[in-house]
Amino acid sequence: MIVEILFSEVCGLFGDSQNPEYLKATLPEAEFIYTDLVEEPYFIDHDVDMIYIGAMTESTQRKVIEKLAPHKARIVELVEKNVPILATGNAGEIFCRKIDYVTEQISVEGLGIFEFDVKTDHFDRYNGKAIAKVEDITVVGFRSQFSFIFGDNSKCCFAECIRGDGINRDSKFEGLRKNNLMVTHIIGPILPLNPLFTEYLCSLAGVDAKAAYREAAMDAYEQRVAEFSDPGVVFGNNM
Amino acid sequence: MNKLRFIFALYSAKAILVIMRLLGRNASHFPGEIAIKICPDFLKQLKKPETLIAVTGTNGKTTVSNLLTSILKINGYKVTNNGFGSNIREGVATTLLEYTNLACRPKNKLAVLEVDERSSVHIFPYMKPDYLVCNNIMRDSLKRNAHTEFITFIINKALPAETKVILNADDIICSSLGPDNHDRIYFGLDIDKPEGNVKQHVKDMVYCPKCGGKLEADYIRYNHIGRMHCCSCDFASPQPDYLVTGLDRDNETFTVSHGGKEETYHLINDNIVNVYNFCGVVAVLTELGLSSEEISKGLAQAKIVKTRYDRLKSGNMNITMQLSKGQNPIACTRCFSYAAGCPGDEKQVIIIIDDKEDNSGNSESVCWLYECDYSYLNDPSIKRIIFAGPRCKDHYLRAQMAGVNKDIIKITDSFTGGVDLLDPDYLDDIYVLYDPYIIKEAMEVKEQLIELGKRSM
Repeated sequence: MIVEILFSEVCGLFGDSQNPEYLKATLPEAEFIYTDLVEEPYFIDHDVDMIYIGAMTESTQRKVIEKLAPHKARIVELVEKNVPILATGNAGEIFCRKIDYVTEQISVEGLGIFEFDVKTDHFDRYNGKAIAKVEDITVVGFRSQFSFIFGDNSKCCFAECIRGDGINRDSKFEGLRKNNLMVTHIIGPILPLNPLFTEYLCSLAGVDAKAAYREAAMDAYEQRVAEFSDPGVVFGNNM
Repeated sequence: MNKLRFIFALYSAKAILVIMRLLGRNASHFPGEIAIKICPDFLKQLKKPETLIAVTGTNGKTTVSNLLTSILKINGYKVTNNGFGSNIREGVATTLLEYTNLACRPKNKLAVLEVDERSSVHIFPYMKPDYLVCNNIMRDSLKRNAHTEFITFIINKALPAETKVILNADDIICSSLGPDNHDRIYFGLDIDKPEGNVKQHVKDMVYCPKCGGKLEADYIRYNHIGRMHCCSCDFASPQPDYLVTGLDRDNETFTVSHGGKEETYHLINDNIVNVYNFCGVVAVLTELGLSSEEISKGLAQAKIVKTRYDRLKSGNMNITMQLSKGQNPIACTRCFSYAAGCPGDEKQVIIIIDDKEDNSGNSESVCWLYECDYSYLNDPSIKRIIFAGPRCKDHYLRAQMAGVNKDIIKITDSFTGGVDLLDPDYLDDIYVLYDPYIIKEAMEVKEQLIELGKRSM
């Protein structure tokens, strides 16, 4: 099994860098290929079983789009082949049609795999929590972002919110999904925080894996699911 | 009309300040908030002290600000300072109005103001600092500060070009602050250079900001603190004007080289992070015109506040209390490293770094734990690690992911429950790392340890 981690040297903000580490512990037999931003992605001319890309700064986001744009056709091919691709934080926005950077007053075309637009505003920081369903799995996590995605994702979301906001403050559907290309605004350690989702992700790549440190991870996960489900726990913006 | 509004705001806020103090309330923020509500350009209209020193950056602001103030006061200066108050706009306004007399004149000629880097954009447009000292730009609370590129953008957006910037030369991000500020002073360390590069759990500057080429480290102390150069152009860490050339831990001194002369000062604390703070302080004071004798006298008498760092002995037990700012991954990583690196082969560490407020009717974001390098706790000298607080299960998982043997980890969801979980076989060296917002609980833990130390003699 080959897992490609894209641009980890610049796409690992907010604890996202530990998702590959958790995958490595979960998939000890897998080969992990780390591709730097100055290198050509491995997936261009090789088969891969999974791709991960984490959160980044806004200027890096523009460089990543520039880097991947010439390979859009290959990315679409991988999506059609159902290769699991997980993008966390603002990483998935690169697959959208357009990103408007309000602060810099610039607009950049994304890869256009999703017909959705993004608005990024450095003076509108959003912090929130997420508890949502990915198929029958409850996923929990945290969100801290400058950006929102706009469009109707009710038929192509990553997860249906149980509590908390979706792709924008008016949405109840979190992230985007096309086959196994999964885009979520959840930041940080989504995999160690969600051992069941980690196992599900591995299953999409055809591997029946047991999440690493499963007992400890499940204990922390169950505590968080209980807390996030508690109506007494605040869930609004900036909480 | 505008002037009348300002005077009304000033007098009202001053009255509120006095009443709050009489009621024993913390009055470091609210009076300024009221003043700004009454008069939105209150900070602009307020007459400022003749010389303004702003202290900003991710870690060490309070230490630097307090030290500068202490040393200046020891040398007879009267200083306006917000060291024990709020460092955002309302806090700065509160401090300045407190030190403004009824004739609307500043009481002191000199102000040392700690400025939250995120708030600089709301402060600097109304008060131009003569000096800005910045120790580092690191990852901090991701909810507020996002990432270092954002913080750099925020500070640069507001920083007046006339301000003299005094920057850490060994922080490649910090040293690039204020590209339009031509009056620049750098400080750095030429001691305890690590052999080879230490691991960087997180990296915030990988590519050259000038040409995009890859940056190469001459050496790295931690994170991006060290010396770097670009492989493709002439961009490199700047040469320090003030350089620590000697550190004598036994005699508690450090030596600073500047302008061809070397001066030796008292070392208040030997944590390398604090040595940067001390060097920054020496640089600011020298630039301000203090003599090395005056600085030396100040450093000899100044102390770090005991609620931030304390070392004591009870019976045979050595207790080290170290403030460890939760949600600040780099600060906590440095504290883990410090505890692991201190002398002693049989230590126990109690870690109380969960946010009290964020866990009250809430569930704290734990993303920052994954930016924090727990592998420092995987040290043979540490015999037991106790995570105390509501997020203890998250710490337990995170520590295991960092390679810490789960058998040496104990957890309790009580902030003050850690002492009961100590291993009685290793009671000689106890470290307590605690968040600033749980000082009361940390002091309770300290008392429990003092009692335990006496009993176990």
